[in-house]
Amino acid sequence: MSEAREVKFGVVSCSGEECLGGTISRLATRKIMDEIQPDKTVTICLPLFLAGGQEERTFAKEFPTIAVDGCNKACARRAIEKYSGAVSAAILVSDLIGDEMAEGPALSTRDLTAEHQKMIDKTTLAISEEYDVLIKAEQVK
Amino acid sequence: MSNNSKVKIIPCSGMGKVYGLMSREATLQTVTKLCPEQAETICLAYLVTGDKEAKMRIAEQPCLTIDGCPMLCAAKSVAAMGGDVKERFKVLDVVKEHRGVQPGTATALTEGGWTIVDDIAARLEAKVREVAGEGR
Repeated sequence: MSEAREVKFGVVSCSGEECLGGTISRLATRKIMDEIQPDKTVTICLPLFLAGGQEERTFAKEFPTIAVDGCNKACARRAIEKYSGAVSAAILVSDLIGDEMAEGPALSTRDLTAEHQKMIDKTTLAISEEYDVLIKAEQVK
Repeated sequence: MSNNSKVKIIPCSGMGKVYGLMSREATLQTVTKLCPEQAETICLAYLVTGDKEAKMRIAEQPCLTIDGCPMLCAAKSVAAMGGDVKERFKVLDVVKEHRGVQPGTATALTEGGWTIVDDIAARLEAKVREVAGEGR
């Protein structure tokens, strides 16, 4: 009898340094990892992935991976597609909070406001919804 | 000072460890509060995915990188994309000077973590002021 493969989900944030969307993508991804699905998700360090990390690239090839990008440049999604194949889902923070807001100045976690927290929660919910769809698809495999 | 005449500070912003967050926060503090007229940051992922505009921005000005772990992804990637890296800062080197301080997690920093970030940012600022205007 074969054992069921333990499925971990990768959540890859652009964590962009130049705009608010990058901060939101980072904090929403961390919230998924820390609070929502801590045992079922792992994050991939995008700089290491881009710098040639084979373990990271292999993970994204073999396991469902969700890209979370701050703006429509979609660096995380494009990087995964280039080195590991299609992503299972892609979230664009700019679709959730608007282009102008997402491309606004980068934010330190020191300066988070209640309004920013709502943006993080909205993005976390969007990632969670994609996760739920993907886990159901895995369960029927 | 136009944007392309600014020193570029590029952190790794690694997601998995507190040191990645510290690299990011030290950079933001430097470019938004300490020397906004002389320095700016560029998204590392945007640069490394090969965007021409991002590559042009690092082509003519000094770059400082700051990495959270010994893999030195920011330093190696910026150099590989043609950047003139004047100094490779390492968060861990500064953390070691603050013995016993627990800096926090990859999500949030402690008060001690912010103290170390302030220390790193001050070092970045000093280097920016040293190399600003040098060009390549």
